[in-house]
Amino acid sequence: MKSVFRQGMLTQERIVLVFALVLFALYAVFLKGFLAPNNLVAILRSIAVLGILSVGMGIVVIGRGIDLSMVAVMAMATAWQLTMMNSGTPALTATAITFGFVVLVGVANGVLIAYADVPAVFATLASGNFVFGLIRSRFIVQDAVPVPQDATLLMDFGQARLVGMPIEVIMFAAAALFAFLGLRYSKYGRYVYYQGDNYQAARSMGLPVRPVVILQYVLSALVAWLAGLVTAAGLQSINTRVVNSTLLYDVILVVVIGGIGLSGGKGGMRNVVVGALLIGIMLNGMTILDLPNIYQNLIKASILLVALIIDSRLNPRDEQVGQQGDI
Amino acid sequence: MMAPLIQTRALAKSYRGNLAVNAVDFDIAEGEVHALLGENGAGKSTLTKMIAGVVEPTSGELLLDGAPVRYDGPADALKRGIAMVFQETSLVPSMTVAQNLYLGEEKAFNRLRGVAIAAQQFLQSLNFTVDPTALVATLGAAKRQMVEIARAVRLKARVIIFDEPTATLTPEEKRHFFALIRRLKERKVSVIFISHAIEEALQISDRITVMRDGEKVITDVTANFTRESIVQAMVGRSVGGGTTGRKSAVREAGEKVLSVQDLSMGAIVKNTSFSVYAGQITGLFGLVGSGRTETAKVIAGVMKRDFNRGGEVRLDGKPVRYNTPRPAVQDGIVYVTEDRKVEGFFETMSIAENLYSSLLSVGAERLPIVSRSEMARLAESWSKTLAIRAINPDARVIELSGGNQQKVVIGKGLIQKPRLVIFDEPTRGVDVAAIAEIHHLIEKLADEGLAVMVISSYLPEILKLSDRILVCRQGRVVEEFTPTDATEKKIMYAAVH
Repeated sequence: MKSVFRQGMLTQERIVLVFALVLFALYAVFLKGFLAPNNLVAILRSIAVLGILSVGMGIVVIGRGIDLSMVAVMAMATAWQLTMMNSGTPALTATAITFGFVVLVGVANGVLIAYADVPAVFATLASGNFVFGLIRSRFIVQDAVPVPQDATLLMDFGQARLVGMPIEVIMFAAAALFAFLGLRYSKYGRYVYYQGDNYQAARSMGLPVRPVVILQYVLSALVAWLAGLVTAAGLQSINTRVVNSTLLYDVILVVVIGGIGLSGGKGGMRNVVVGALLIGIMLNGMTILDLPNIYQNLIKASILLVALIIDSRLNPRDEQVGQQGDI
Repeated sequence: MMAPLIQTRALAKSYRGNLAVNAVDFDIAEGEVHALLGENGAGKSTLTKMIAGVVEPTSGELLLDGAPVRYDGPADALKRGIAMVFQETSLVPSMTVAQNLYLGEEKAFNRLRGVAIAAQQFLQSLNFTVDPTALVATLGAAKRQMVEIARAVRLKARVIIFDEPTATLTPEEKRHFFALIRRLKERKVSVIFISHAIEEALQISDRITVMRDGEKVITDVTANFTRESIVQAMVGRSVGGGTTGRKSAVREAGEKVLSVQDLSMGAIVKNTSFSVYAGQITGLFGLVGSGRTETAKVIAGVMKRDFNRGGEVRLDGKPVRYNTPRPAVQDGIVYVTEDRKVEGFFETMSIAENLYSSLLSVGAERLPIVSRSEMARLAESWSKTLAIRAINPDARVIELSGGNQQKVVIGKGLIQKPRLVIFDEPTRGVDVAAIAEIHHLIEKLADEGLAVMVISSYLPEILKLSDRILVCRQGRVVEEFTPTDATEKKIMYAAVH
């Protein structure tokens, strides 16, 4: 099976793309209203936040990490910022404080992982819970925080459209484009790939591996905050209950299904976009079909499992084949 | 002598066409202690792994009690009474001694105390002084070995194979270990004892087999051997091909680039001191476990030396201490790893991407922008310089042959414009043609004035390349030879003594 995949035609990305197109065609034929322009825009809009988060997660996963604190940072940083603005802090000050906080969370994640050698899963799980607990208990008073009425910039931003596209979609496209350019054409982007492929080799040859790990997590935290702002602008408020939703798993679903191997060093932003499209089309169709939430979860879970199995077959971790052995 | 318990007939094993063990006839009788000697890579481990069912033979026959057998795996071999005690023990560190002894035989409702009592009685019957309730993680190497042996005996092993059992033991523990082997012998258990410690073999064994380059050189009763005749048998290989042979001229030492004083790291590198000069190849010979690799890694910043009394490393006379490899690389120290797959190259990437990583990494003031054309140029020129041959230039490095992989790793290092290059086993797992090319390259580097250090456990390689030969034993450089007065025998003697 492996050889078939390696021969080029059957990359995971292409399978997913074909799958998405087939699904799209089926929905288009059998679902009334699916092809309506408004619905197509709605699909894009519904995957925008998910997509933005996946851009950040994608960067981290390429560097052989994972960031489970993203949704917490997204919701809590934005909620805190809005709360400050609601209670009269100037918008610029509130934004600056939030920016500092978000960067701090990213740095803390990176330091825990790169310098204290805590596995990424645990470090970010803990920091996500910490961020949620800290801000929910100290800085905000209710679950949902509205955008203040005088924050016209954010309000207008939420209603803005560019070439007929909602601003969320534009932001997703911009984030993906920036990440694409950075990963492909900047030397720091290449560092992420090198250390994701082989951390030991990257370290031995003198790449600044630990600063790059920190950079990854700062980026993913900032991207998460951007996703929060986009959400708030679109919905006029941010609901911190999203931290306990399945959004985080959807993000991982997008990244893995798109074909960014969890073993690191592989894939790129194209995979994120393809993965997000597939999930968006699938979820939209299920919503039009009025499938109960439980079944939607069942289907998502099955797809994630299949994607993980394919991922571990295509990108086996710690490939020990071909090892010389002690002769 | 009784009929052999185990016998091999023309047993052979090849890895990807390389013969690791070539048609070896070997036998062991009941209650015999049989020492298996040879250099690193002589095929000792592979031979015994085939006997223990860990590795499947490519050809040949294995007879147990005179009847040919084929195992379904190590568990099957164990059931037939053949146990192997590995260099790194295979116990579960977080469990007690008793739990380890009865591993895999727990009842559904396991009573820890009952197991501990049974283990206590069993250990006593063997005269082993190990506390059955102690956690394995807290035991020293010798006690762990006792537990391994006890487990083998408990499973009614008739043959126990020890792979380098004494490498990690203190002299005191060694004495215990030898006493234990004698007790096993009294119980009619046969012992195969892999080692490169000649004295130990002479002391404990009934018979000795010497292997070299995958072939059996000689088997005889221990009394017929002397230390000299064993060394002779271990190293006396035919000299041929382009990979061996004497060097023609010795290079003069340039300025002193690296000087190491009393360097220490944990229990592996102990107070070692030596120097490396520009324009010269300094060979470092030592057996596995002698601390060569660790010494090199400390110098290159991959590992950290002891904070207290860690000694001193001077580069061009200036004391340096690296906590990470990056500053070392910036100062011009490049370490070419012995394990290229684990810490040498980026396996999913192309040759060009691998080579380009060096340019992005250190040195050259340049824009932080990736240039595909620069990458392509770099790959082309270095592929030519190093004679890297790939059918498809976009091939992932993992798909290349060992020789080409090694050249990519060397190229990665050289692009960083080093002043001191440390090659650790530069030709391990490399085909013969590529070995000659790599040797030629290393010599060229020294001719160009670089300080070069070559670590190897392959004597002919050391003799062919080195302008000075250092011998490492138990974590320190113990002797220095000039090429004119070095012989394989002298070096081997210094390394094992």
